[in-house]
Amino acid sequence: MSVPLLVMENVSTGYNSRTVLEEVNLKVYPDDFIGVIGPNGGGKTTLVKIILGLQPIFGGRIHFPSGRIKTGYLPQASQVDRSFPITVRDVVASGLKSRNPLFPHLSSSQKKRVDRMLDEVGLKPVEYKPIGELSGGQLQKTFLSRALIEKPQLLILDEPNSHVDKNFEQELYSWLNELSREMAIMLISHDIGTIAPMVKTIACVNHSMHYHPSNQISEEVLKVYNCPVDIIAHGPIPHRVLKRHDDE
Amino acid sequence: MMSELFSIFEYQFFRNAVAAAVLTSIIASMVGTYMVSRKIVFIGGGITHASFGGIGLAYYMGLNPFAGAAVFAVMTALGIEWLSEKGKVREDSAIAVLWSLGMALGIIFVFITPGYTPNLMTFLFGSILSVGKGDLLLLLIFSVLLCIYFVVFFRPVLYTAFDPEFARTKGIAVSAYRYLMSIIMALAIVLSIRTVGIILVLSVFTIPQITAMIFTRDFSRVVPWAAALGAFGSVAGLMAAYVLDIPASAAVIFFLTVQFLIIKACSLLIRNIKRKRVSG
Ligand SMILES: Nc1ncnc2c1ncn2[C@@H]1O[C@H](COP(=O)(O)OP(=O)(O)O)[C@@H](O)[C@H]1O
Ligand SMILES: [Mg+2]
Repeated sequence: MSVPLLVMENVSTGYNSRTVLEEVNLKVYPDDFIGVIGPNGGGKTTLVKIILGLQPIFGGRIHFPSGRIKTGYLPQASQVDRSFPITVRDVVASGLKSRNPLFPHLSSSQKKRVDRMLDEVGLKPVEYKPIGELSGGQLQKTFLSRALIEKPQLLILDEPNSHVDKNFEQELYSWLNELSREMAIMLISHDIGTIAPMVKTIACVNHSMHYHPSNQISEEVLKVYNCPVDIIAHGPIPHRVLKRHDDE
Repeated sequence: MMSELFSIFEYQFFRNAVAAAVLTSIIASMVGTYMVSRKIVFIGGGITHASFGGIGLAYYMGLNPFAGAAVFAVMTALGIEWLSEKGKVREDSAIAVLWSLGMALGIIFVFITPGYTPNLMTFLFGSILSVGKGDLLLLLIFSVLLCIYFVVFFRPVLYTAFDPEFARTKGIAVSAYRYLMSIIMALAIVLSIRTVGIILVLSVFTIPQITAMIFTRDFSRVVPWAAALGAFGSVAGLMAAYVLDIPASAAVIFFLTVQFLIIKACSLLIRNIKRKRVSG
């Protein structure tokens, strides 16, 4: 087996001394495609923030056996301010690291890379539009491009399917299928039905984390993992939506 | 009438006032666009009013009041950024406390300063018609340094304002940039208090910026638009103040607001006409 990109051992964390996640053990390998599921408030976003180094840990250990990894991050929709005066192009360009911290401008080759990225996802016609004027799908495409532009080793998507139409969702999933050949992916969702067919393994996050080494998961197992689900039948695949905390 | 209006430019004090207004507009265009974009105008209010405490203390100790204001403003700005980063105190309540405490300290110190009572109106409403060479030089140096900073570090400044967490994942020293911007905000505000005063300073940091955002929502374009609109509105305000014999800084703010309202109305009108064309 190959060397993992990252290893979490017995990690716990929280906010203002309130623990929201504990006993997290997880290894992420370069060819992983992990579906991260769990109820709202279960700690999914907190988990990815630990991985990204945005959230300090209370206990345990997180390490990167093959050195610091390049990450691509698509934050949860509620975390970005759509009214901020910034253009599509500037957002995508923000995914590129500056070579010189004392003169952090883009090199001409980096500018070309931005052009290519915009072309690839079809955002070129709206590159100078402020993000506030985009549709939900275009906005997610913008953030996906920002995450992908440096060719990350680990792509983390925090609920990329919220506030987008079904067409874009399908397009997104076919991209992810292709991308999963080149990079590790963690796809966060509170909707297991739609992501299960695509991912290879599943991590259930609800205060603690249970790792399920396959994408076949039964309701009984989810119960054992403390990830309650509801079954809503629509379409050919049983479409399971996890129960929200606040509905209970 | 026109020539009479422009003859006022023959006076040194008026030329100084115009230069101060233009430089203040340039400074405010960059700092104000940052504040409006990050939705932290309220923090600007906290910094402004807290600095009055510094003015009072400096008076009491016989020091330069603007140096006192600068120290208080910088400390307040850093304190608010620190609190919000730590997430310990609700930011808006902390700002409200500093806001009123600063004003209270200012009044107390001025009151207990023996003998001479300074003209409070100067601080509350500025004294743009009496700016001297020294003030102008200070404004000029600060605006040149600020322009260089914004041009060189535009990317990290924009990205740390827009999405600090993502910026951090790209290895940008987010805290350093945020704290530096806090200091810049504080100094920009104190320098502008000299020209427009505590009560009105926030408007030069916001009105031209929101006017500019009617034309463009691209940060790098909002800044020059805001500078131009701010300079135009404030020079017009100064001239009106002279003609109508009203307080200069108030006239400036009034003109900036009227300019905003006219442009806003025009943009709504144009949008309506366009929509009718499309549907009809
Ligand atoms: N910045 C924060 N400060 C305090 N509590 C937080 C913060 N972010 C999240 N939490 C709390 O941590 C828990 C987990 O949140 P989160 O990781 O966002 O869950 P999920 O992404 O699964 O919906 C929730 O109870 C939430 O209220
Ligand atoms: Mg979340």
